[in-house]
Amino acid sequence: MGGEPNRGPMMTQICWRLVDILSRMLDADERQAVRGDLAESGESIGMALRDVLGLIVRRQIGLWTDWQPWLALLAVASMAGVLLSRILFRFNVDLSQQLVAYQQYGVHFGTLLTPQQDMAFLLSLAVALLVWLWTCGFVLGSLSGGAIWLTWSVFYLMVLDSAWVRFVLSGNIIVRNAGPLRRFMAVTVPLNIATLLFLLAGLCGAFLGVRRRVLALRAAYVLASAITILTILTTWMSGWYETAHEVWSGGAWQGVSWPMRLLPLVLVSWPVAYVLATAKRRNTSDKEIT
Amino acid sequence: MLGEFEYLILSAATRLHEGAYGAAIRQEIEEATRHRCSIGALYTTLDRLETKGLIKTWMGDPTPQRGGRPKRMVRVTATGIRAASDFYLVMRRVSRGVSWEANRIAVR
Repeated sequence: MGGEPNRGPMMTQICWRLVDILSRMLDADERQAVRGDLAESGESIGMALRDVLGLIVRRQIGLWTDWQPWLALLAVASMAGVLLSRILFRFNVDLSQQLVAYQQYGVHFGTLLTPQQDMAFLLSLAVALLVWLWTCGFVLGSLSGGAIWLTWSVFYLMVLDSAWVRFVLSGNIIVRNAGPLRRFMAVTVPLNIATLLFLLAGLCGAFLGVRRRVLALRAAYVLASAITILTILTTWMSGWYETAHEVWSGGAWQGVSWPMRLLPLVLVSWPVAYVLATAKRRNTSDKEIT
Repeated sequence: MLGEFEYLILSAATRLHEGAYGAAIRQEIEEATRHRCSIGALYTTLDRLETKGLIKTWMGDPTPQRGGRPKRMVRVTATGIRAASDFYLVMRRVSRGVSWEANRIAVR
């Protein structure tokens, strides 16, 4: 007879499907118990959605009464994220300069260093970024647990945006007129493959961190050694640019001293200390049990 | 001392004996209070009571009425019974002589 279509069964199915999806934010046992309670009580879909959302919100708030998610949010997602963003920004700029110069003119982009030095620095920085991001992701997952969706989002946005937002605010980068969708994509989507790969490394680390929480002791030692070597290597190699600029300027350019170059890299590397400490503690408690 | 909602849960679970689980406790509370009891409040309070050692919970067997999903069974411990009865005694002591207590028999 025309009129409104029959939404009942289809709409109800979709809504119950939504309840199932939302309830995946709960622990497995609790999810089963809650879904069973809802099935037994015969509640309406609206009440069921309200109940499940209410429980999810309470559980999420409950997570933040512990110190671990706060440490993840402040020291990893925010602090390390901002520093990683600056390092990643520099890497992207240096790499794109070399790639464009080589592709368009077939020459090395002049940085006062030899092509071999530039390549060595970029390579070590790339490997360092992969390892730093993976480690930060792992510690983020390990500390955040159920709150990973929030801490990872903050970390992702910090790494992706904080460096170039700083340049935009200071006027060093001018943003041309762009529609809202382009602006949204510019803020949320990695603009190059290198950034995408580095963030994927972080995401892999986060997944493993949520599942495993603690690395095996041997793996933790390997990770700590790798980060130590890469941090020292990157600090040393970045000194080449400082020396080259000092020489070129006849001493007028005061390069950044090695402690000041090392400091941000140490701050980015701190999560490996957490990985090592938790691995050692578990190894000790496993030995006590056996 | 117990909170009001914690006391409601302990009382409902004690009355239900072996049949104390999430949905049943919720129904008991809703019947007694004539207000809706949210699943969120119930389950978070069950966790709190278990942390305090006032109840023990475990996953029971699945049933067809629940779509093959298990129940979260609840048993009140001796500590829980003591805490609930202390709460009840305090309520009785503090309610002595107040108007709604005096009117209780008249309402009956």
